[in-house]
Order: sequence, then structure tokens, then C-alpha cells
Amino acid sequence: MQSIDGSLDTLPKLLIHNAKVIGARPAMRQKDLGIWNTWSWAQMLDEIRAFSIGLAELGLKRGDKFAIIGSNRPRLYWAMCAGQALGAVPVPVYADAVAEEMAFVLAHAEVILAVVEDQEQVDKVIAVAERLPRLGKLIYDEPRGLKDYDRDRLISFADVQAIGRTKLTDDDECLARWEAAVADGKADDLSVILYTSGTTGRSKGVMLTHRNTIVSARNANAFDRLDQNEEVIAYLPLAWVGDYIFSFVQAYVAGYCVNCPEAPDTVVQDRREIGTTYAFAPPRVYENVLTLTMVRMADAGAIKRKAFDFFIGVARRWGEKILDGEKVPIGGRLLYAVGRLFVYGPVLNQFGLSRIRVAYTAGEAIGPEIFRFWRAMGMNLKQLYGQTEASVYITAQPDGEIYADTVGKPSPDVEIKISDKGEVLFRSPGVFTGYYKDADKTAEVLTSDGWVHTGDAGFFDAKSGQLKIIDRAKDVGRLNDSTVFAPKYIENKLKFYPNIREAVAIGADRDFVSVMINIDQVAVGSWAERNNVVYASYQELAAHPRVYDMIASHVDEVNRSLSEEEMVAGAQIKRFLILHKELDPDDGELTRTQKLRRGHIIDRYSPLVEAFYNGSSAAQISTQVTFEDGHKGVIAARVAVRDMKTYPVSATEMVRAA
Amino acid sequence: MRAPSSGDTALGEVLLAVEDVSLSFGGVRALTAVSFDIRKGEIRAIIGPNGAGKTSMLNVVNGFYQPQSGRITFKGEARNSMRPYAAARGGIARTFQNLALFRGMTTLDNILAGRSLKMRRGFFWQVIRHGPALTEEVEHRRRVEEIIDFLEIAAIRKIPVGRLPYGLQKRVELGRALAMEPDLLLLDEPMAGMNLEEKEDMSRFIIDVNQQYGTTIALIEHDMGVVMDLSDRVVVLDYGRKIADAVPDEVKKDENVIRAYLGQPHGVSA
Amino acid sequence: MHLLYQIFVDPFVQMGAAPDLLAQTLWDGLVAGVLYALIALGFVLIFKASGVFNFAQGIMVVFAALTLVGLHEHGVPAFLALGLTIVVMFVLAFGVERLMLRPLVNQSDVILFMATFGLTYILIGLGQLIFGGNPKVMIANELYLPSGEMRFKGLGGFVSFQKIDIAAVIIASLMVAVLAVFFQRTRIGRALRAVADSHQAALSVGISLEQIWVIVWFAAGVVALTTGIMWGARSEVSFSLQIIALKALPVLILGGLTSIPGAIVGGLIIGIGEKLGEFYWGPLLGGGIETWFAYVIALGFLVFRPQGLFGEKIIERI
Repeated sequence: MQSIDGSLDTLPKLLIHNAKVIGARPAMRQKDLGIWNTWSWAQMLDEIRAFSIGLAELGLKRGDKFAIIGSNRPRLYWAMCAGQALGAVPVPVYADAVAEEMAFVLAHAEVILAVVEDQEQVDKVIAVAERLPRLGKLIYDEPRGLKDYDRDRLISFADVQAIGRTKLTDDDECLARWEAAVADGKADDLSVILYTSGTTGRSKGVMLTHRNTIVSARNANAFDRLDQNEEVIAYLPLAWVGDYIFSFVQAYVAGYCVNCPEAPDTVVQDRREIGTTYAFAPPRVYENVLTLTMVRMADAGAIKRKAFDFFIGVARRWGEKILDGEKVPIGGRLLYAVGRLFVYGPVLNQFGLSRIRVAYTAGEAIGPEIFRFWRAMGMNLKQLYGQTEASVYITAQPDGEIYADTVGKPSPDVEIKISDKGEVLFRSPGVFTGYYKDADKTAEVLTSDGWVHTGDAGFFDAKSGQLKIIDRAKDVGRLNDSTVFAPKYIENKLKFYPNIREAVAIGADRDFVSVMINIDQVAVGSWAERNNVVYASYQELAAHPRVYDMIASHVDEVNRSLSEEEMVAGAQIKRFLILHKELDPDDGELTRTQKLRRGHIIDRYSPLVEAFYNGSSAAQISTQVTFEDGHKGVIAARVAVRDMKTYPVSATEMVRAA
Repeated sequence: MRAPSSGDTALGEVLLAVEDVSLSFGGVRALTAVSFDIRKGEIRAIIGPNGAGKTSMLNVVNGFYQPQSGRITFKGEARNSMRPYAAARGGIARTFQNLALFRGMTTLDNILAGRSLKMRRGFFWQVIRHGPALTEEVEHRRRVEEIIDFLEIAAIRKIPVGRLPYGLQKRVELGRALAMEPDLLLLDEPMAGMNLEEKEDMSRFIIDVNQQYGTTIALIEHDMGVVMDLSDRVVVLDYGRKIADAVPDEVKKDENVIRAYLGQPHGVSA
Repeated sequence: MHLLYQIFVDPFVQMGAAPDLLAQTLWDGLVAGVLYALIALGFVLIFKASGVFNFAQGIMVVFAALTLVGLHEHGVPAFLALGLTIVVMFVLAFGVERLMLRPLVNQSDVILFMATFGLTYILIGLGQLIFGGNPKVMIANELYLPSGEMRFKGLGGFVSFQKIDIAAVIIASLMVAVLAVFFQRTRIGRALRAVADSHQAALSVGISLEQIWVIVWFAAGVVALTTGIMWGARSEVSFSLQIIALKALPVLILGGLTSIPGAIVGGLIIGIGEKLGEFYWGPLLGGGIETWFAYVIALGFLVFRPQGLFGEKIIERI
């Protein structure tokens, strides 16, 4: 189904269509000053059109690039479509990017104007303005604090709309001209450039056409039967392809409503108020919610706790089966129903997940325990695997075929093949057209017949027929004794424990595997309270010997689990340490989507890595850190290293091998 | 030092002046003949070692204590002492060192309580909840929501303040004081017990209040960095007497001030 | 075994056997409960707003009733007497605020409680002095309160309602409703809650503590007057009426000292519980249940749930 109806082949055209056909239905909401404001499709068209004409008056033309910088605010989404109506290309930028990152993207993309959220973003752009000679106007949404700024440079969103509306009333031809501009748009026009926060090297600008995104969206909506009745909350970064597709393209294609929260910390409450039906979040979010629930339960009275444990047991036994529509004895169903009333319902409701029909997770592997927990609770959690270069969808798990350790079957219209080196390649209508101004990188990734190298190593699981991802292809290495070393595989096993927030495994071309660990502040803090461990800061907690003991027990279990798998039994963890500070995107250690920047980390912490392999029992480290407001400081610590025992490859395995 | 805003050197007229104020409790002299003024639109810091009488000074200004002698002139009106009700009515709002929040009420209700004086409509209309009383209620609620937005506390709107962490409680208290739309805002150690990040947030709010709403602020603070950054002028108290009164840079270099903080026995100069 | 049967089964069997008696007992319990609730209400009002446990609430009931009857005895027409009594309660509230609360404003709760002891004896003395110590008859007829009874044939027998009781229930419910609305919806109600929470904060926000206290004591006075009229009409107006106030204590413990709905629910539970207990379990224990039932329940609550059903849990953050 790769063709699109010519009258609905761009996002602006879809907007006009929706305004005509379902004009009264809610398109977008925002909570402001405590109340929800709603815009219908017809109203949204009006707003976007006014802004679009205003942009045209400011000189935006077909082919121009413009930046969108901020968090999930309706006006920023409107700006995207408004520019696309004129044939211009939006370039969304991460709101929490530091000025450096932002400068690179804005300069590389050669944007001529920027639509930003508030004073904070305005300040950042102005700070790097000399590097952006092509940048003209700065349009802002939230006026607070901008009273005394340079009026030549800055103009408010409302003012731009006013210009547009005036033009509409004064000039009779204006409306027709605008509609003609929209009609001129084609499916294969460049619709957006999304810069991927690279795990190595500089960001690359992924170019996606309307066709790429709309066809993918259409397929995705069909796959999960999403229609205009869905309610979605937009809280993931605007600049990330997932949000662009879920909160923008899919919404336009299906006609459903996108809700913007009041503030980043009110997302859970807002989600609960709206009763969202479709969710997407990285595994971390589901983990955190589970940890929070467990921590609260640990603090509850004995009766409550016992009841909770009992019903969780019931859920684990019957929950998933009920969700998958399998046969379950009547007694089980009854118990589960009671459990739903007292436990699962309230827990889901607490986090605003009661009305969820479909919940996806992707981005990295999710702990099987966590995955099963949510499904046992009755939430239809599924995995999908995607990339910016694919307009998101590569594989997804169909209802009823859900496994904790696979990422699904190829999505509609997606072809997948595995190279002889074990790398996953795909081809689909959603495949990007190239990296902006970077033909070399494009050639590396996109073959001449349309196949994309994902850079991930994986294979199809014989039993389920679904794809399994092992690790980033280039990260899969070998120890000095040729044992396969897939760092992510080991790290994921460790991260499945709530106490461990992040782990970095080191071993390529080394004698053995060692791991640097970040503890989870919430989980370990709560453990510390209950076990009378005193600490005054994260650093102290991370260095505490009893915390080390606790983490060591987790590492031990992981080793035991590794020993049972022939392929990786030789990659057990011999040494580990707990890092004195959390890995942070602001320090360049993680990407903005929380993925590890492996090389960079190993560099920064080289004293610790050395300590691993020269037998030291502790090492001194000094790291420069960047605080939230941008200023820098240095944190120093003496980090202890622990040795772990390894397990022999387990007997059953050996019997099989023989 | 604060970035110069327009009219920095030409400060407004005197909003509040205390002249020769003395306060004693039993035999203890809390304040002795203290005189200084606060000009409209400025941020005035009151600093001094522990026990210098700073909180007592604020208490005199907003009427919790009545001084034995001296005069307080507020908005041109001179009086020998202030009553809490008159101070509140006149446009003085206050936060407390140890917090004085309505612990059983939510954040929203606490800040709404700050609108008490502004609520005009009588008993009957309020019960009926119609017509003028309703418009008034909507208006009050809107103002309160603006403050909640300004202080970024939307997420805790419905939580009873007794359950909030300390830093957020202080913010709610600030919100309640702002709800009174005061001409003079008295802040008693607003940053006490906060970490670096919280202090920066609070400083930002204080500056914003002063610049956006034009509120005059009198601020007791121990953190010298904050004092230097935020304030236009500084009054230094020690053992109940004023020992310095100037712009931050000068006060920093004043010998009496340095000696007071270092605790050496010293004579007092006016 | 037989004992268990007698305690857990037999009374219910009896209830079912004679539904008209059950209805009668329930009604009597309801009426008593409503009146207990009214008294408790007076306590809650004052405690909520000024943090004072007003030991004098009971005597205020008597004093109010006495004033009303006394004025009438001196020839003042009934409704004028009612109006004057309300004025007297206002003056009382004003006086209490000026002479008792204001001077003691920063003292501890115990001292204020002791002050209300003093107030009690002042009112007793004053009442006896002005109106004499003899029991009096409530001027129910003059106030157009209904009298007589209504008999219904049904439920296998007869159920009779005293008209005065019906009036009492209606009037009390109305009073509660008005107070509830007052507390929740109005500016003054909010101010009352603020004052109850923190005096310092209330002062700094511009709430006049004195004004609020006068209002609250006046409200409690009006409640006391209503209670006095109702109780007085059912029995007589004498100083023994203040014993009723003691019954309010278990009601407060049950309902929580700071909750108006608590006072109502508590009152009803105690009232109905007492009567049912007395009628159906009384024979087992030789009677007297009515006397101690309330206190035993209160004891239970003190052990397991001291804040009552609706009161605020006091959490100390260290």
C-alpha cells in the first residue's frame, strides 16, 4: 500500500481534509493555568493558516529550512505544519540541547528562522547567533521575560498570526494563493529534517518526505486499529522521530487528538485526567513506574503488602494469558477480577494508564520482568524496533504474539534481511532519502537499491519467527580468548534489576569482562532507608560498602545466568565498580534519548578502566561535569573495584554441547 | 552584581522608612535606634550575624511586634506601631524563616488564602455563587493559577503542603505572599536550607518578581553571594544596631561589617 | 454456647419479630443522635477555628435556653425573646473574645481549656443569679413548635413519633446544612479554616483573628440555643441539661474533633447504638447499657483510631 491519494499526500493537505470532514472533533489540547483548552480540527486549521501566511510575509519560501525549538507545545506543532504548507522544511531541535549542540544543528541545516518556546531557548539561540549568519527572525511562543529584548530580532507567535490574519482580510487573493501553495506540495517533497543524536560523532540530519512518514503512519494506524477516538499525550522530545510520528503524522492521518501537558512534571496527572488510550515510552519509564510502585508498597502496612503480593502472584499466573485471549480456568479469572478491582486497577490508574489500549516500548531492551509485570497488570504492552531512518517502524509485535526478548515481526510493507556479518538491514516506504548535506555518510548506510544498514546485530528467532536484537553491530566484539562479547546483552541483564540504573560493559580485546555501574537513586535510596544505611549524597551512597554488597549479589546472579548460555558463558563479569555520579546527556555520556556513548565514556573514565585491568582495588577519578544551568564543575572521587567469582559453564549446557 | 536595569541609579521614592526604632523584650534589647529606608522598586537586603535582630526588624515592619520607641512611615503615613491587619491591608506581605503555611490545605488553597483581603463580595453572594461573586471567584482563581505557573508548581497544586519537601514549601509560601499583590514583600531567609539548584531557582523568582511586577523587596539572607547578586542596597545589623547602610560593593569592604562577622569584640560606629 | 446465641443471634431475631418496635427504637435513637450531634457541632466549630476545647459548651446550651425562657417569663413576647437571646449570644461571643481569648492569645491550649472551665462556672453563676435555680418549662408552644404525637399503624403494630422530635430532626438538619455551606463555600469559611490551621499565617495574610473568633463563638452560641430549645422542649430546662454535654465527648472522639460531618455521623452512631443496645441487649446485662455504651465505643477508638472516623491524622514530620 505504497501509493497515496494525491489529495492527501502531504500533511497540510491532511489538515485541510480533516478540518472539512471531522472539523468539530478535538485535534489538540493544552493544559494552561489549570484548565484544558481544546482546539478542533477546524480551529487548528485556522490557527495554522494564519501563522503560515504570516510566515510567508516574513519571507519564508519553498525549500527554506526553519528551526523548531522547545517542548511539546501546540504552537510548535502548528509551526511545523504552517511551514510545510509553504513547502518549507521544519528542523526540530531538542529543547534541552546545550548551546553547542544547537549551534551545530542550526548552522548545518542553514535555517533562516526559528520558532522557539520561551526565553530560555531565545537566550540559547542568541548566545550562538554569530555562528548563524543566515538566521533571521526569532519567533517565540511564551512572552514572559522577553519584554526588553531586541524587537528587530524577536517577534511573538501571536503577532505573526496577526500579520497573517490581516493579510487574509485585506487581500482577497490571499486565501486562494495559500491553498494553491498547499496543493503544490507533493508526496515526495522533503517534509522534515530530524537530526539524530549520534551515539558516535556528530549528529546527522535524516531527511524524510511526506510519503515516508504518511505511508508509515497509515500502516501503523491500521496495524493497531487507531482511529479518531484515540487520545495521546505528547511528552517525549519534539525533535525525536517517535514524537514526530506519534504526535503529529499519525494524528493527522487518523484524526485523533494530541494532548500537551502543563509542565514536564505534571505529565502523570495530565495523562490520568485525559485517560490516554495509546502510549509510547522508552523502557526506562515503565521501569521507573514499577520501581515507584514497589517502593510505595514496601512502605505500606503489612496487610496491604500481603494483599498486594498475593494479587501480583495471581496476575503473574493468569494476567498475560487473559490479555492474550488464552483459556484460563474460571477460578483464575475470578481471582484476577478481584485483583483488578483492588490492585491492578488502582495501580494503573495512579499512573494514568487505565484506558490504555496499546502501549509500545522501544529504544532499547526492556527487562523481561518489567515487561511481563505490565502485561500481567492487564496493559497491552508491546515492543517495537525502529530508527529515525525508517520513519520509526521496522518491526513491531502483533497482538497475541508478545515475547519479552524479541522485537517483533516486520511491520507492514517492511522487508528485512540479515547480512552474513549478522547485521540487520531493512527496506520500506518509510526509508529516508538521505542525510542532509552528507552524501558520504548516506552512502555508508543506504545502499543503491534502497536497503538501510541499521548498525544493529540481530537474528530471527526460530521459535517465534520474530527478530531479536543483540547489540550495536560495531560493539559486538570479542575477548582476547575469542569469546563473543556483546556488551549490551550483559548490560541489559544488569539493568533489569531496579537497583541498577545503567551499566557499561568493557571487554573488547581484553582478557575479561568488567562493568561500571550506576545505581538507581530512588530504588537504592529506599533500600537504604529500610536498611538503616546512612548517606548524605548520591556519591556517598554509591561508595557505600553495603551498597556494593547488594550490587555484587546482582552481578553474581547475572554471572550465573550467563554461565548457562554457551555463547556468552565465557563473558562473565570478573570485576565491577559503582560510578560516583550518574551518567548524563549534559556531560556527553548519554545521547538525548538515553543511549550510551560507549567510546566517550571509556575515554572519560579511563583511570577507572585502567584500574580494572591492572588489578588495582581502587582508583582516583576526577570528572568535569556540566550542571543543569550550563556552568561547569569538577567532581572527584575514589572508587572501589570489586572482584567477582565466575561460574563454570553449567552442566546441562555441557551435556548438550557434547 | 545585578545587571543594571533601567533607572538603577535613580531609585524611586521612599516606600518604607523606620526611624529610631527600638524594641525590647523584658530586659533584652532586640533593636536599638535603628533607622533606614526602603525605596520603591528596589531589593533591599538586611544582613547581619545571628541574633542581630533582623527578624525582629521585619516583625516590627509588619506589625507582629510593637516597638517601644521610634516611628514607621509607610506610603507616607507615619505611625508609632503597625498592626498585622493594617500592614497586610496596606500592601505588606511576608514569608517566614520557619514557614507559616496552612499545613492541612493544598498548595492551591494556601495561595488562594493570600487573596483573602482582595475578596470583596459579601456573604450572601458567595453562598449563592452566582453573578458578581462567581466572576470574582474566577478572577481570583486565575490570578492564583498565574502565580502557580510563574513559580512552576503546577504539579503539586492539589497536594497538602504538609507533605511537600522543604524547598517546595518555601516556594508555596512565596506564592501566597505574591497572591496578596503586595507593594512591599518581606522575605525572611527565603533560601535557608536550600541546595545550589534550589537557590538559583529562588533567586530567579525573586528577581522576576521585582522586575516584572515592580514589587519592592526587603530580604533577610545569610548567603553573601546571593546578597551581592540580588540586592540594590544593604543594611547591616549587629547586636540590634545598624552598622552599615550602602550598596553591596561598599558594604563588602566595610571594616565594621567584616569585624562583626568575624566576631571580634568591637566598638560600634553609627 | 447458649450465651453466644443470646448475644449474637437472639437480639436480631427479636428485631425481626417485631419490626414496629425496631422502627420505634431506631427513631428514638435517631432523635437522640441528632441532638448529640448538635452539641458536638458546637464543640467542633470552636475547636476548628480557635483551637480551644470549649468545656463551657454544655452550659451555653442551658444558659441560652434559660435566657429565652427567662425573658418570656418577664413578659417579652416569644419571638422577640428569641431575637433578644440571639443578641445575648452575640454579646457573649464578643465578651469571650475580648476578655478571654485576646489576653490569652499566645498561651498554650491547656490554659485556654482551663479558661473555659472558668467560663462555665461564670455562666452557671450568672444563670442562677438572673433566672433562679428552678427548672423551667420551655416555651415550645409560643414558638409554634408542634406538640403531640403521630401514630402509625403498620409494621405489625404501632409506631409513634412525637411531633416535637420530628421538628427537632428537621431543624437540626437544616442548621447543619447551613453551617456546612458556610464553611466550604464562603470567604469567611475559608478564613475560619485558615485560622484553625495557623494563626501566624492567617495574621500575615490579613485575616483578623478577632473577627473570626467572634463569628465562630457566635455560631456556636446559636447552635447551643437551638439545642437548648429542642432538648428543653422534650424534657425541661434545668442545669442538669449540661450533663448532655458529657455525652458529646464520645461523639467527638468517634467523629474526630475537627470534622463537622464527623460530629453528625458520630452523633447518629452513638444515639442509635445506645437505644438499640439498651432495648435488645439490655435484658441480658440487667440494663444500663445506655449509660456506658458511648464511652466504651470511645475507648475503642482512642486505642485504634484516635483521630476518629473523619478527623485529620496528625503526622509529625521530624
